[in-house]
Amino acid sequence: MSRDIIKTSVLLLWLFIFYGCSTPSIPPEVMQAKTQEHDLWRAGAEVYALEEYQGYKSSLKKGNESLLKENGRFGWFRDYEVVTKEFRTLLAQGEQLSSTIQDRKKESYNGIIIEAASLRDRINSLKKITDIINEGRLARNNLTRAELLTNEAGTLISKERYREAAEKLKSASSQLDLSVGIIRPITKRFEDRNQLNKWRSLVDETIKESRKNQGYAVIVNKAERTLTLYRNGATYKSYPVGLGFNGMKDKVQAGDRATPEGRYRIVKKLPRSRFHKALLINYPNENDKRQFAKAKRKGAISTRADIGGLIEIHGGGKESMTFGCVSLENSHIDELFLIVSIGTPVTIVGAVDYENSITTAVRGL
Amino acid sequence: MKSKSFFMIAGLAMMVFAAGCGKQPVEEITSAKSAVEALVAEGADKYAKEELKIANDDLSAAMAEVKAQDEKTFKNYDKAKELLAKAKTTADTVKADVPAKKEQAKIAAASAQEAAKTAVEEAKSLLAKAPKGKGTQADIEAMKADVAGLEQALAEVQALIDGGDYNAATEKANPIKDKAAELSAQIKEAMQKVAKVSKGGKKK
Repeated sequence: MSRDIIKTSVLLLWLFIFYGCSTPSIPPEVMQAKTQEHDLWRAGAEVYALEEYQGYKSSLKKGNESLLKENGRFGWFRDYEVVTKEFRTLLAQGEQLSSTIQDRKKESYNGIIIEAASLRDRINSLKKITDIINEGRLARNNLTRAELLTNEAGTLISKERYREAAEKLKSASSQLDLSVGIIRPITKRFEDRNQLNKWRSLVDETIKESRKNQGYAVIVNKAERTLTLYRNGATYKSYPVGLGFNGMKDKVQAGDRATPEGRYRIVKKLPRSRFHKALLINYPNENDKRQFAKAKRKGAISTRADIGGLIEIHGGGKESMTFGCVSLENSHIDELFLIVSIGTPVTIVGAVDYENSITTAVRGL
Repeated sequence: MKSKSFFMIAGLAMMVFAAGCGKQPVEEITSAKSAVEALVAEGADKYAKEELKIANDDLSAAMAEVKAQDEKTFKNYDKAKELLAKAKTTADTVKADVPAKKEQAKIAAASAQEAAKTAVEEAKSLLAKAPKGKGTQADIEAMKADVAGLEQALAEVQALIDGGDYNAATEKANPIKDKAAELSAQIKEAMQKVAKVSKGGKKK
């Protein structure tokens, strides 16, 4: 009896050693899949191909379950053939997923690069408009914020963090919309055909007068920032000008820093002015006084408001920012000063043509 | 008879032994899970993303082993315990590293914020020195608005720092510094352009 037990034990031990030594090893595909999964995650699978990545992870989980099941068997019953097959399929799935991620990343990159470039163009256009209309206070603040966000997006793009970059660009776009909201009320008048017709008729009347009287007339075009001198109804000379802080607005009251619009005349010539030389015009005219009274009645301005005055065409440079006057380069005011005389008509308008610098600049905003 | 009793006792002992090994390692599971959760609470999702993923993967592997043993008649959680211990060790190791990484990010953010602040202050001080009135007043007015925009963005950097989002704070502060430096250069250029400084004090 005891001999039989010993025999059986020896046989079992021999079998154990034999089969134990020949237990198949875990297929290399298992470790490859682990590395692949980590690489996919690192490549941004969660961001660019979440659904497919979840599918991949689910297959990986199944593969690992099969592996555990197989590992649970006694060594000599283990067979990793099915597990190997499963993991090979998984690796192929991972390869596919990897190229999907790369394609989507490339797609995101291309889209975001175009978006960033378009925003930069928009920022530059808006900056140009703020320069034209002298709106350098409120709108520029938002423009700066938009520029910063676009630059932040640029950094994120270089780090391949396209989704975050897209969010930044979205915020930048919102800032630009705020800028447009500030600029629009100022530029609206320059796109209004009725307003343009009114300005054009003021200009036509002035030119007609110059022709009729065989004399000079001055036309200031705010949109183009020009002062054009007419002689006998024809263009004689043109000079670039600077306007008020709120030069694109029509003057209503003292201190609004706007440049008045309407038909005026030179009432005084000042050969010595703090701005080199100056030509005083008769602001406020009758129309200005009516508008001022109306604005007061409507409560648009304070009842204690003053209409202002002493609006001049003077020197100091075309890049000047005045308190409502029209400024020229000193050499240009020297020239003009010699030509014009007291009584010379001066007409100041927002624009003459529908296709003016402002309508062109705001197009597509 | 003696040997029969011996085998019966041995069989029973083996069953008891097997049953002893077959208890789910609840304590180890809780401990490993807590360690990974603590990692998130420490801020690993921001400062040690990759390490957090490794710890999570280790925990998932351990839990898969637990599940596999749960489904067996003769359970053996030794391997699961080993994997749970590994997950816990990974999490604890990473957790120990997170404060240093966080501190490093905090220092970088504070430094980027300071550099941005200095650059904005420089632009502001240049603007304060810029001539008032005419000349390049339009440019100066626009630049003042630019500086105001930069100051608002700086406040956002502070908010990010206060919220512990140091990397985002650094990413926000750097463009502010660059833009402020660009502005300072523009202000200097504008100041050089000013030929005449005068101020209109008349009624307009």
